[in-house]
Amino acid sequence: MMNYILPCLYAFGASFAFAIVFNIQRNKLLLSALGGMLGQLAFVIFLNVLSNQAASYMLATIAIALYAEVMARLTKSPTTIYLAVALIPLVPGGGIYYTMLYFINGDIELGASTGIETLLISGALAVGIIMVSSTVNLVRKVMLKRKARMGKKYHYGQKN
Amino acid sequence: MTGSQLSHVAMEMGIILLSNGAETYRVEESMQRICFALGAREAEIFVVPSTIIITITMPNEIPLTLTRRIHSRKTDLHKVADMNHLSRQICYESLSYDELISEIDRINAIPSYSYLLHLLAFAFIAQMFTLFFGGNFLDSCLGFIIGLGIKLQMDVMGRLETNSFFINIVGGIIASTVAVIAAGLGLTANMNTIIIGSIMTLVPGLVITNSIRDIIAGDYLSGLTKGVEALLIGSAIATGVAVPLSLLRPFWGG
Repeated sequence: MMNYILPCLYAFGASFAFAIVFNIQRNKLLLSALGGMLGQLAFVIFLNVLSNQAASYMLATIAIALYAEVMARLTKSPTTIYLAVALIPLVPGGGIYYTMLYFINGDIELGASTGIETLLISGALAVGIIMVSSTVNLVRKVMLKRKARMGKKYHYGQKN
Repeated sequence: MTGSQLSHVAMEMGIILLSNGAETYRVEESMQRICFALGAREAEIFVVPSTIIITITMPNEIPLTLTRRIHSRKTDLHKVADMNHLSRQICYESLSYDELISEIDRINAIPSYSYLLHLLAFAFIAQMFTLFFGGNFLDSCLGFIIGLGIKLQMDVMGRLETNSFFINIVGGIIASTVAVIAAGLGLTANMNTIIIGSIMTLVPGLVITNSIRDIIAGDYLSGLTKGVEALLIGSAIATGVAVPLSLLRPFWGG
């Protein structure tokens, strides 16, 4: 159990420090760092359920992107503040390193397979963000349209 | 408000947003919003990561074009958030030219966190990620030292206006040199963990996020530019890490 909780706490600490590096406002530091913890937590849970790395990364990214959108609406600030900080613990730094290490050790096959896995994970992160942002945009547009139509009706009603 | 005043205000706003790490579409939208809110008939805005071009047409005036090139970029999301808030506020309440300028100056003068805090944050990131990837406490302290070193190196080289590719190569070299030497002296058995944890400080998280979000918004030019930047930084880090690992191979005995 500790093996699952400790990495989440470390991800929280690292995200908090990254929030300082990005100069995020003092009262939003904690919220953005919580996103980093949430991403790691979601990743660990999905990895245990699905035991598929790329899919778990994608679902974890979807979780943090949803968190970022909700928090951005609640605190009336840009989504990037929460998304960029929360994304960093999910970036496959280890994959990049081991790809390079296998290559300089002369193990081309292992390096190539690790490299492709790393690329796949990066793609999963991108897809996760794209899915959430596009869906949120769509919902917002539909709601704006509905609001505009209702406003018109109300306007006509007043006229009569 | 005259056309030249309006274009000045919009441009100042866009410059602050773009040079502090906002997405391209956010810069374009904010500038457009303020232009229409303050009475422009037409406003065409084109933003790429290094340049802003804006053409404003006021009623009964000839069009006015302004171009500004951005030379240095840093990350200060506090300014982005406040500027974003200001651009929305303008739509609801009317502010005079002087009020707007003083508000923009206030946002531009918002202090970032102190240098010492930045330094400690950098070192803390390296420490936390070393633990995150499975290192023990001693490893994390080595990560802390490497984080300090990388931050100092980045600032010294940044002041000398070195390109970011080279800065990241040297950052990678520092991380893996210290880790290799520590492993050679028998201080640690987790050399790989320390290196991975330390290079996470160099990961361009904001660039990756903005690149993806720009591409979704349809700004392929900016999105691809930032994507290439992220890829270059990633390969620069790997290159830097590879140099001591190859040259000091007899020392760490891999």
